[in-house]
Amino acid sequence: MKSTTIIPDFRLDMIGEPCPYPAVATLEAMPQLQPGQILEVISDCPQSINNIPIDAKNHGYEVLEIQQDGPTIRYLIRR
Amino acid sequence: MNWYNFKYQYLVRFWSPVPAVIAAGILSAFYFGITGTFWAVTGEFTRWGGHILQWLGVDVSHWGYFQVIGLQGSLLTRIDGVMILGMFVGCFSAALWANNVKLRLPQHRIRVFQAIMGGIIAGFGARLAMGCNLAAFFTGIPQFSLHAWFFAIATAIGSLAGAKVSLLPIFRIPVQLQKVSAAQPLNQHATRAQRHFRIGMLLFITFVLWAVSRALDEPRLGYAALFGLAFGLIIERAQVCFTSAFRDLWITGRTQMAKAIIAGMAVGAIGVYSYVQLGMDPKIFWAGPNAVIGGLLFGFGIVLAGGCETGWMYRAVEGQVHFWLVGLGNIIGSTLLALVWDDLAPILVVNFDKINLLKTFGPQGGLLATYTMLGVFLALVLYWEKYFFARKARQALQTA
Repeated sequence: MKSTTIIPDFRLDMIGEPCPYPAVATLEAMPQLQPGQILEVISDCPQSINNIPIDAKNHGYEVLEIQQDGPTIRYLIRR
Repeated sequence: MNWYNFKYQYLVRFWSPVPAVIAAGILSAFYFGITGTFWAVTGEFTRWGGHILQWLGVDVSHWGYFQVIGLQGSLLTRIDGVMILGMFVGCFSAALWANNVKLRLPQHRIRVFQAIMGGIIAGFGARLAMGCNLAAFFTGIPQFSLHAWFFAIATAIGSLAGAKVSLLPIFRIPVQLQKVSAAQPLNQHATRAQRHFRIGMLLFITFVLWAVSRALDEPRLGYAALFGLAFGLIIERAQVCFTSAFRDLWITGRTQMAKAIIAGMAVGAIGVYSYVQLGMDPKIFWAGPNAVIGGLLFGFGIVLAGGCETGWMYRAVEGQVHFWLVGLGNIIGSTLLALVWDDLAPILVVNFDKINLLKTFGPQGGLLATYTMLGVFLALVLYWEKYFFARKARQALQTA
């Protein structure tokens, strides 16, 4: 079991969804957070590794942590 | 670096896509030099469709398309065949090493429709143009065939339409943002990771031994198998996605994959050029309306499906059932094209010239023209990125 010390405020569960939907949903969810709040995105689309972190950064958010051990990937992103 | 670090850094973690695509570009040039053909997959998928029809009792011997691409031999005796086998083994080994194989079932009916329809449209378009993201783009442009440029531009336009359609409400599953107070534990099965790693290694080593033994009596087949293995490793480990290179320009403004592919083609082109200067014939196809129409359909189809003809291969072996359907769609679409080829070809294809830029502009002129066009592509991508985010910033100001 892998855990993180970062405590998210919201979670987006994108299990089973193929690209580009995990990245699109992430970018749509971020503005709903207050500045400083953290979103946890859970995805089992391996390809999301090449889009969620870069898209989040490009759109002005901070990627705090990526855990990519096994088929499920967790992204922690701060608004 | 000890074994544990090596394993984690290179066999488990994803690779950075930029160097990976450049490596694929270099390897694809050597692949051409050694096998005499270019890195391509959809022609072979079409042959599979032909074999299935033969097996069902359909006589395809008079179908013009199979005379163009050839239907002799089998998966194990064709260069494209053993190369694709190598790609599947490479993708599957890489996914097993990283414990990235999991049955992922489609969660919604609309995704099943998307996968099959998108796959059919992309398969049909690719074969109409005589290539997919590889033969009519990534490895077609470095062959100096004008049709690949037509296809690339049309694919970009088609992908824009695909992006618009894929984001229509009918394709959007409402997602709930949940309020949480703790991270979700990710359950790892350490024993499964270990088991999958061993199976992946066994598969990988077995295939290498088989390919090396083939190389001893049929060198081109053996080398093709080994190159396929390397291509497979690269696309899975780095999650190389040609669809995203086009699609995400429009959807999220991300340009990394597009730039990587342009760089990959730039290194591939000089390699192929050197072989052509030594006397090899590049693979040139008809630069007719077929390349444009095929590109439009292909660009639309890959975005609707979520992956192209190489993209579905690694995702399928990762256990993403969605991409089994995309692959099936590709084979159906390309076989449909073979069915209607004899009616379409005289109007759209064979009465147009096969244009080799190295002949039209001479060797130096053709090379220069290719690099100039790649430079223009790169400049357009950079401009689009600036424009996309400037527009977004303006919109943010207006709503604030």
